[in-house]
Amino acid sequence: MSARLGHENVVVGSLAQIGRCGLFLLRILTAIPRSFRHVRETVRQLWFVGAMSLTIIMTCGLFIGMVLGLQLYHVLSIFGGTSATGSVVALAVYRELGPVVTALLFAGRAGTSVTAEIGLMRATDQIAAMEMMAVDPIAYVVAPRFLAGLIAMPLLCCVFCGLSIFGGHLVAVDWLGVDNGTFWSNMTANVKVWDDVINGLIWKSLVFGGVISLIAVFQGYTTPPTSEGVAYATTRTVVASSIAVLALDFVLTAFLM
Amino acid sequence: MSQRKSYAAGTGLFIVLGFAALVYLATQTTSVVNSHQGASYTVDAQFANVGQLKERAPVKVAGVRVGQVQSITLLPGKDVADVKLSIDRKFNQVPADSTAVIYTSGLLGDQYVGLQFGSAKNYLADGGHMTLTKSTQPLEEMLGKFFGAGGTADAFGGSFKVTAHFTNIGTLSVGAPVKMAGAAIGSVSEVKADPVKLDATVTMAINNRYNQIPDDSAAAIFTSGLIGGQYVAIQPGGSPNSLKDGDQLVLTQSAVQLEDLIGKFLVNGSSSGNNAGGNGSSNQPAGKH
Amino acid sequence: MIDTVQAQPEDRALVRVRGLTTRLNGKTVFDQLDLDIPRGKVTAIMGPSGTGKTTLLKHITGQMRGDAGEVWVDGKNVGELSRDALFELRERIGYLFQNSALLTDFDVFENVAFPLRQHTRLPEVLIRNIVLTKLQAVGLRGAASLMPSELSGGMARRVALARAIVFDPMLILYDEPFVGLDPIALNQVLKLIRTLNETLGLTSVLVAHELEAIKQVADVVYLIANGKVVAQGDPKTIAGNGSSWTRQFFGGEADGPVPFQYPADDYGQALGFKQGAV
Repeated sequence: MSARLGHENVVVGSLAQIGRCGLFLLRILTAIPRSFRHVRETVRQLWFVGAMSLTIIMTCGLFIGMVLGLQLYHVLSIFGGTSATGSVVALAVYRELGPVVTALLFAGRAGTSVTAEIGLMRATDQIAAMEMMAVDPIAYVVAPRFLAGLIAMPLLCCVFCGLSIFGGHLVAVDWLGVDNGTFWSNMTANVKVWDDVINGLIWKSLVFGGVISLIAVFQGYTTPPTSEGVAYATTRTVVASSIAVLALDFVLTAFLM
Repeated sequence: MSQRKSYAAGTGLFIVLGFAALVYLATQTTSVVNSHQGASYTVDAQFANVGQLKERAPVKVAGVRVGQVQSITLLPGKDVADVKLSIDRKFNQVPADSTAVIYTSGLLGDQYVGLQFGSAKNYLADGGHMTLTKSTQPLEEMLGKFFGAGGTADAFGGSFKVTAHFTNIGTLSVGAPVKMAGAAIGSVSEVKADPVKLDATVTMAINNRYNQIPDDSAAAIFTSGLIGGQYVAIQPGGSPNSLKDGDQLVLTQSAVQLEDLIGKFLVNGSSSGNNAGGNGSSNQPAGKH
Repeated sequence: MIDTVQAQPEDRALVRVRGLTTRLNGKTVFDQLDLDIPRGKVTAIMGPSGTGKTTLLKHITGQMRGDAGEVWVDGKNVGELSRDALFELRERIGYLFQNSALLTDFDVFENVAFPLRQHTRLPEVLIRNIVLTKLQAVGLRGAASLMPSELSGGMARRVALARAIVFDPMLILYDEPFVGLDPIALNQVLKLIRTLNETLGLTSVLVAHELEAIKQVADVVYLIANGKVVAQGDPKTIAGNGSSWTRQFFGGEADGPVPFQYPADDYGQALGFKQGAV
C-alpha cells in the first residue's frame, strides 16, 4: 500500500519536475528579449561554456575518430571494403557519435559548472542580491547561460566532428595504408549535406544544447541553497541530461532521418 | 575592462573556429555538389536491368558528375526499366546518339549511369529519349551466364500469388523481393519445405499491375551484390498466356554459392572465401568441376 | 485596519506594516504584526532567533508576501505592485546581505558599478567617479581591483555597503550587519551606518542581536517575539520597561518567555518513569 503510494509519488514527482522545467523554459524564453541588454554576459558565458570546453571536445573527438578508423578498418577488411572507411567514419560521426558524445561531454564539462555556479550564487544570496538590485536574475544569469549553451553546442559538435575525421584519417590513411584519395572520395560521395550535416549534426546538437542548458540552469536555479543541495543538483544535471540526450537522440533520429 | 575584451576576443575566436569547422565539414567531406539542384532537363532511357541503381544516383560523363537519376519505374507489360535522368542545364551538349551505361563504382560501391558520347550533331533536349543503353551485369550473370537483377522493393495495390520449387533457396526468406529486369514487382510471401519432393516451395506475391508475365517464365534466386540479401528474379518466357493467381513456375534456377562459381571458373578447390555472409545450406552443389 | 492609531505621525513613517500575518511551513511567523519605520532614523529590529526578522525585511522588499495584512513603503502597497513597479521601488532600496552576496565573477569595482551598469547608460568616467566616491566612503578605494574571494568578511561587508548605496537609496536594510566581525571591523561598520544615515539622510533598518552595538547606533528599537511587537522605544529606555520579554532578552537570561526547552512531551515519561508521568 505504502509502496504503491511511493511509486505514485515518484511518478507524480517526476511529472511535476518536468512541468516545472517546462514553465522555467517559458520564463527563460520570455526573458530572452530582456537578456539582449546583457549581451556581454552572454559572450562571457559563451567563453566559459564553449571555448573552455574546446580542449576536452577536441581531445575526445580525435580519439573517437582514431578508434573508429581502427575498428572500421579491421571490420571492413574482412569484406575487402576498407575503401569505405572514410565514409563510414564520417557518417557515424555526423549522425550519431558527434552530437551524442559532444552532448555527454558538454553535460559533464559545461552543464555541471553552470549548475554549480548558479546553485552557489543562490546559496550565497547573489541571486537574491540581484533581485534586490532590481536586476532580473532570469534575464541576467539564466538566459545568457542558456543561450550560450544553445550556441556553443553546434559549434563544439562541428569541431568534434572535424577532429574525428582527422583522427580517422590519421589511423586509416597514415598508419594502416588506406589510399588517401579513396578515403576522401568515398566520404564525399556518401555524405549528404542536408541529411547528414544539417539534420544529423546541426539539428541534433542544437536540440541537445538546449536541453542540457535548460536542465543545468533549472537544476542550479531551483537547488536548495546548501552545499548538499548544490552537490545533488550537479549530479542530477549529469544524470538527467544524459538520459534526456540519449532518449531524444532516438526520437530525433526517427524523425529527422 | 581589458578582462572583458579578452573574453570577447576568445569567444569570437571560438565562434569563428566552430563555423570554420562547419564549413569544412559541409564542403570538404560531403557531396555538396550532389545536392546541387540547379536548372536541369530530363531525358529517359530504358534498361533491361538496372541492377542496384537507385534514385538520386549520379549521372556522369567521363567520370564527372553532370546530373542524377530522377526516377526508376518498370514499364507495365514490358520487362524493361524506365529510368529518368535529370541532367544539369549546363551540360546541354550531349549528342543525341549517346549511350547510357550502368556502371558500378568498385566491387561494393553504388551504381551510377555513365554517358558515352556519340557523334551526332544534334543534342539531347528536355524529354529526350536515349535509345542506346547498356544494362548492369549482375555478378552471377558475369560469372555463371545467368540472368537476373537487383533493385528496390515496392508493392501496393493488390497482388496475385504464384509458386515455384527450388532445390536450394540459400538464405532466401519471407519478404525478399521478387524482381523482373531488376525492378521489384512483388515479394516472397512464404517459404516452406515440401515433405514429399524434398525441395523448397516458394510462394511469391506479385503486384496485380504485372499481370502480363508469360506463364513459361523462369524463376531464379540471386544475390544482390557480393554480400547483399537474396531475391527471386523472374525471366520472362515467350508464351502468349499470362501468369494467373495460383500458377506454378516450372523453370527454376536455385541459389548458387558464389564460392562454387568462382571455384568453377578459377583454379580448382580454392574455396577459401568464407565471406559472402554464410549463405550455405544443406544440399548445395558442392564444388565439383 | 489601515489608518488606525499610530505611534508616529503618518508622514513620518517610510515603512508601515499593518496586520501582517505570515505562515511558513505551518508555523506562524507573524501574527497581526503592526510596525512603523520612521524616516531619517536608524531603526533596529531585535528578537530571539527564528522570530522572522530577516523575513520581515523580505516582506519590505517584496521578496515575500504575507498571507494577510499590508506592507506600505513610501506610500506604495508592496504586496500589490507589479513586477516592474516592484523593481522600480527596489532601485531605491539598498539591501545589505548577511553574507555580503558580492558577485564572485567581478572585482570590487565592478561589483559596486554593477547596479549603475544595469540601470543606467552613464559614461564610463561618471561611473568611475561614482564608484570611487562610494568606495572612498567605506574606506576601500584602494581595494577596487581585488576579487571578492580576496576580501575579509568585514571588507566584503563594506564593499556590499558601497554597492547598496551606489544609487543613493531612500531606505537601506541591513541584515545582521555585525555577525562575525572583529571589534575593529564592527566599529567601522557601526560608524558607517551612523554617518551614512546622517550625511545621506536615508532611513536605515537593521536586524541584529548585538545589544551594545545597537545602543550606539539605533534611534528606535522594536523587539519582536511570537510574531508580535512585544516592546518598542529608544534603546536606552527599552531595556528597563519591565516586561518579561525585555528582561529576558536584554538581560540575556536562559529561561523566560522564550523557554530553554524546545516544546517536548513529558520528560519523566520519555525516560520511562511512569509514576512521574500523568
